[in-house]
Amino acid sequence: MLLREVEYVRPSSLDEALRLLAADDGARPLAGGQTLLNVMKARAAAPDVLVDLNAIEELKGIDLAPNGTLTIGAMTTYTELLEAAETKARPILGEVAATIADVQVRNRGTIGGNVCSNDPTNHLPPLMVALGAEMVIAGADAERTVKAEDFFLGVYLTAAGPGEVLTKIRIPAGRSDGFAAVTIGADGTCIVNAAASLNGEARVAIGCVAAVPVLIRPGGRDADAVRDAVRGADLDPPSDVHASGEYRRHLAEVVAARAIEQASARS
Amino acid sequence: MTETLSPAQPLVVEEGEEQRGFAGTNVPRKEDKRLVQGQGVYFDDVKRHGMGYAHFVRSPYAHANITSIDVSKAEALEGVYGTLIGEEVAALTDPFFQLATPPGAHIKDYALAVGKVRHVGEPVAIVVAATRELARDAADLVEVDYEPLGAVTDARRALDPETPVLHEEAGSNLSWEGVYEWGDVEGAFAEADHVVKISELHFDRFNSTPLECDGAVVEYNRGTGQWTIHTNNQFPGFAAIMMGPAMRTGLDKLRFVTQDIGGGFGNKITSHPQLVACCLLARKLHRPINWTEWRTEFHLTMSHGNERWFLDTEVAVKADGTLLGFRTKALDDAGAFLRYEPLGGVIWAQVTPGCYRWRNVRLDFTQVVTNKAPCSPNRGYSRMQHLWFTERMIDIVAHELGLDPVEVRKKNYVKAEEMPYTTPNGCVYDSGDYARMLDVALELIGYEGLAERRADAESRGKLFGFGIGSTLDSGTNNFGQSRLINPELQFSGNNEVATVKLDIFGEIVVTLGTTPQGQSHETTAAIVVADILGVTPDDVNVRAGHDTYWNSHAGFSGTYASQFAVTGLGAVKGAAEKLAGEIKKLGSVILGCPESELELADGFVRMKANAEAALPLMACGAIINANNAGLPEDLDVTLNARYVYRPPFELPDVERKYGNLTLTYAAQVHAALVEVDPETGVYEIVQYAAIDDCGKRIHPQIVEGQVMGATAHALGAATHETFTYDAEGNLLTPNFYDYHVPHAMDMPPLKTGYIESPSPFTALGTKGMGEGGGAGIHAVCAALQDALAPRGRPVVYDSCNPYHRVWELLQDPEASRRRVEVISK
Amino acid sequence: MEPQTSQTVTVTVNGETYEREVEARRLLIHFIRDDLDLTGSHVGCDTGNCGACSVIYNGQLVKSCMLLAVQADGARIETVEGLAPEDGKLHALQQSFSDHHALQCGYCTPGMLMSAKALLDANPSPSEEEIRKGLQGNICRCTGYWNIIDAVKAVAR
Repeated sequence: MLLREVEYVRPSSLDEALRLLAADDGARPLAGGQTLLNVMKARAAAPDVLVDLNAIEELKGIDLAPNGTLTIGAMTTYTELLEAAETKARPILGEVAATIADVQVRNRGTIGGNVCSNDPTNHLPPLMVALGAEMVIAGADAERTVKAEDFFLGVYLTAAGPGEVLTKIRIPAGRSDGFAAVTIGADGTCIVNAAASLNGEARVAIGCVAAVPVLIRPGGRDADAVRDAVRGADLDPPSDVHASGEYRRHLAEVVAARAIEQASARS
Repeated sequence: MTETLSPAQPLVVEEGEEQRGFAGTNVPRKEDKRLVQGQGVYFDDVKRHGMGYAHFVRSPYAHANITSIDVSKAEALEGVYGTLIGEEVAALTDPFFQLATPPGAHIKDYALAVGKVRHVGEPVAIVVAATRELARDAADLVEVDYEPLGAVTDARRALDPETPVLHEEAGSNLSWEGVYEWGDVEGAFAEADHVVKISELHFDRFNSTPLECDGAVVEYNRGTGQWTIHTNNQFPGFAAIMMGPAMRTGLDKLRFVTQDIGGGFGNKITSHPQLVACCLLARKLHRPINWTEWRTEFHLTMSHGNERWFLDTEVAVKADGTLLGFRTKALDDAGAFLRYEPLGGVIWAQVTPGCYRWRNVRLDFTQVVTNKAPCSPNRGYSRMQHLWFTERMIDIVAHELGLDPVEVRKKNYVKAEEMPYTTPNGCVYDSGDYARMLDVALELIGYEGLAERRADAESRGKLFGFGIGSTLDSGTNNFGQSRLINPELQFSGNNEVATVKLDIFGEIVVTLGTTPQGQSHETTAAIVVADILGVTPDDVNVRAGHDTYWNSHAGFSGTYASQFAVTGLGAVKGAAEKLAGEIKKLGSVILGCPESELELADGFVRMKANAEAALPLMACGAIINANNAGLPEDLDVTLNARYVYRPPFELPDVERKYGNLTLTYAAQVHAALVEVDPETGVYEIVQYAAIDDCGKRIHPQIVEGQVMGATAHALGAATHETFTYDAEGNLLTPNFYDYHVPHAMDMPPLKTGYIESPSPFTALGTKGMGEGGGAGIHAVCAALQDALAPRGRPVVYDSCNPYHRVWELLQDPEASRRRVEVISK
Repeated sequence: MEPQTSQTVTVTVNGETYEREVEARRLLIHFIRDDLDLTGSHVGCDTGNCGACSVIYNGQLVKSCMLLAVQADGARIETVEGLAPEDGKLHALQQSFSDHHALQCGYCTPGMLMSAKALLDANPSPSEEEIRKGLQGNICRCTGYWNIIDAVKAVAR
C-alpha cells in the first residue's frame, strides 16, 4: 500500500546507472515501475535505492537492420513497441504487447522490465525464448550477450544480476510466429500462455507452467506432434485459485498447438 | 450497443392519473456537475489540521490466541502520535449488541481483537502517525505474539465435535438455526410424480467491491463530548445503534456526516467496529483521525456476501410439470463475527417461493461462524442466494425431466391476475407479470433464431447455451422480521425522513436521511418535490448526502435494501405535500380565498380560476421568515416541513414465521447466450438481455443505470469473482489482481427492456430497486448447463463458474451428475 | 548526483506550477491528493489495477499510483480538475458522461474521463472496440460500462 523509505536517483547515462547500482547492494533499477512499485507497495521487496532508468537515452530506441534483425532498447515501452514502424518487421511483438493489461500500463511498462521481473505469468519471456532472442547485459566491467533460453533462471530471477542492467534485446528476422493464451478476462493475467516460432526449427515456449518458460522443439508442425511434445516435457505446473496443475498441463497442450497453428498460418 | 426496448403497451395494473410534470422524464442529474469535475467530497477529501493517519495492525492468522502485544517500538518512532490495542478497547467499551439468540448471543465482538483473533486480517492494534507512510511503517514495529489454532474453513464441518470453536463464550460455532415450514410438505411429496433430489448446491462467497473502500475522518469535541464522523458508512441508523451503547455514549453524540460515497452495495454497512476504534483514538490522542481502508484490507475483512450451501434438496413435481414444493437444508457461512447476521437467516424468506406459485416449503436454516471475513449485506442480500437456489431447482428439474425451461416457468410463475399475491409465509407480492417479462426477454435475446445461432457456434467448434434467470428484488424491509430470528428484539416496521422548506428568498431546500452512493437521490427527490410544488427540479436544492445535525433521520435511515424510491421518496412526497398544504394555507389568507381554490404552478400559489391572483413562492418564504406581523394568531404555517414515512406493516407471527416482510417486489428476468470452447472451458457471453419491472419509474435512465450495474455485478460473480480460502484460512483473492472484476472489454452486448407494474402499496406507485441483478448469476448458470448438455449432461452446482470449473464439468460430467437423483412413480 | 530520500520537485498540473519537498517513497497519487490538495483523482486499490488514479502525464495516460512523485519532477500533468475549459462550462466528455448517465457514484469518473480524453486525443474516431480497449484500465462497479462507452462514442467524430 505504501512504500518503505527509499533513496531515489535518476542518472542520465548508463555508466552512471551502473556506478550507482554497484555502489549499494540494496540498489535496484526502476524501469516502468508497473511491477516493481506494486511489489514495493506490498512490501514484498524493499530496495534501499531506486536507480531510475527512464532518463537514459542509450536504453531506448528500436533499430531494424538491413538483414531484418531488430535491436530493441530495454527501456522501450509496450506502447512504443506496438507503435513503432520498425516493429512491423516482426508483427508478433506488437500484437502481444497490445494485449498486456491496459493503456496506462503499456505507456510506462517496458520490455526490459517485463523480462527482468520474469513473473511466470508474463507475456514476453516465453515470446523471447520462442523467437530465439538475445539479451544484451551491461555490467560494471563489460557487456555480454545471453540467449533468451538461458536468460531466465527462476521466478523473478534472470541472468541480469545485481549491479547489471539489461540494455537491449536482439531479435532475429522472421514472421512465422504465433502466440496463444488463456487469460482471466480480456487482456487479463495469463493462466497459461505459449509462443511459437517456425522460422527455421519449430520452437514453442510455454509460460505460466514453471519457474521459467519451457522450451519445446516439437517433432512436427501438426497439432498432434505439438501436443505429444508438450506431454513429453512432463510439465508440473503450479496450482492456484485460477487453475489446478492438471488444468494448466492440459491448457499448455492446447495453447502450444494453437500458437503453432498461428505460426503456420503465417508461413 | 445497448438497446432499450419497451413493449408496445406497458402493463399498468391500475389506471393512474395522467402523467404530468417531471416524474418519468430523464432530467439532468444534479449530482453530475460536481462529480464530473472531480469536486465530489468523499471522506478522504476532508482534511483537518493536525490530522493523524491511522493504520491497522492485522492478524496474519485465521485463528490464534494473542499471547502478547508490544507497541513500544511503534510509539517510539518519530512522527507517531499514538496507538490503541484490544485491552484498552475492552476497558473503554462494551461488546457490540448481538442480534442472535444463544449461542450466537454470547459472542463478544469489540472494535479490536481482544485476546484472540478469528480471521486473517482481524484488527489487533492501530497506529496513528503524521503521514500515511509513517503509520504504515509504525505498524510493522508493533510486535504481536500469536499461538496459532486450527482454522475452520468449511461450514459443513463447523459443527463437528472435533472442530475448533471460535467463540468460547458461545461454546459452539452455531450462530443461529431455525426451521421454516409452510403448507403441506409431506402431502406435496406424496402427491408428486417425480422427486428430484439434489445433494449439494453452493452459492459462492463474493461481494460488490465498491471502488471506494471504507474509511472515516473522525473528530472529537472535548467540550461537548461530540464525535463528528465524516464517513461513507451507508446505514448510519444501524451504526449509531451499535456504536452508542458500546461506547457508553448517547446516540446524539455520534454525528455522521456523509456527502459523496464511492459505491456501497450493502458492503458499507458494518464498518462500525473500525469507526469505534477511530472515535476512541480521536479522544485519546486529542486530534482528528483519518482512517483509509486499503483494497487488500477490504477484501480480507469486510462485508463478504453470505456463502450458502443448499443440502439434501428435494423437489416435488407432477408429471405435467407443476411444481408442488421443495425442502432443503440451508447452511450459511457467516464468517468470524455476526455484524448484521443472523438476519440473513430470515431475510431470504421475503422471497420464499421465488417467482413461483408453489405452496409447500420446508427450509432448515443453519448459520455457523468460520475463520473467514465476517459477512454483511451484499447487493441482493440473502434473497439472491435463495433465488439462485430456486432457479437452480427449476433449471435442474427441467434438465432432468426433459421439460422446456421456458414452459416450466410460465406454467409455474405467479400470474399477473393473482396479484397482490400472498406467499406461503404471508409475504405479499404487490404486483407484477413475470410471464410477460419472460416473453420480452425471449424477444430481446432472439429466441426465435436460437437454432441458427447454435448451428453457427457449433460450426466454429463451440458449444452453445441459452439460459433464463428470474428474480425478485424485495424492497422496504419490515424490520419486525428480525423477531423471527430473535423474539426479544425490539425492532419492527421501517421509516425514512425528509424535510422540505421554503426559505426567505424563495429557495426550496430538501434534506434526506439517506446516504446515497450513486443512486441519484438528489435528482429523484427534486423531481418529486418539483411536481408537487409546481416548480422545476432546478428550483429544488437537495442537500448532498447525510448529516445527523440536520435532524432529518430516524432509526432506520440509510441507503440499503432497495427502498429509496419507496421510503425516501415517500418521505419526500409527504414533506412536500405538507409544505404545499402550508403554502396554500398562507395563500388563502393573503389572497382571501378558500384553499381548495388554489393551485401551485409555475413557482406561484394562485387561484385556479384566475392566474393573476397569485403569490410567488418567494413572497411566501419572505412573509413567514421575516415579515410576519399581522398574520392570524392561529395560522399554523412554518414553511419547514418534516415528514417521517412509515410503511404499513404489522408485526409478523413469530410462531408460524408468517407475515409480510417487505412492502414491494420489483422483478427482473434475464436471458443469456453463451459459447463455450470445449477444449479449454473458456466461455463468452455472446448476448444478454435484462428485463426489469420496478413499478412507476421516476427517472427511467437512472433506473436503467441500476439495472445495468446490477447486471454487471452478477456477471462478475457468475464468472470470476470469488473469495476463496485455503485450508489455513488464507484468502486467495485479496486484491484486484487476483479477484477479477469485469472491465470494459468483458461486457457482453446488452439489450434492456421493461414493463411497469405500479405498486398499489406505495405513495408514488414506485418500487425499490437496484438489487435485481442476481438474475445474471442464475441466467449464466442455466446457459452453461444448457451448453454443456451434449457432453454428458453435467449439472451446474456452484454459483461461480470460472473456466476451471467449466473444464471440470466437461472432464467429468458424471461427478456433477452424482449430485442429482430422480425418483419417479 | 547521489541518491536521496527526499527532494524538491517542480510539477506543472493543469497549467499551474508547484514546487514541493517530497519523500522519494511518496506515490504520485498521494502527492497530487495530499500535497497539492487536488482530490479529484482517487485511490481504489493497492495493486495498480483499478485506474481511479489515472492522469495524463507528459501527454500520456498513466496510473499515478505506479509513479513516484519524484519521478514527476519537471513533468506536465493533467487531472480532472483541468478538464473544464473555464468556470461554468464543461468539457464535451464531461457533458456527455452526464447526458448518458455514465456515472453513478462518481468515484471512477475522474480516471475514466482522463482515459477517455487520452483516447480521443490520440484517436478522435475510435471504433467501439477501441473505446473499450482505451477504457480497459479503469474499473467501474456502478454502471457496467455500457453507458460510459456510449458517452465516449457520442463525443467521438
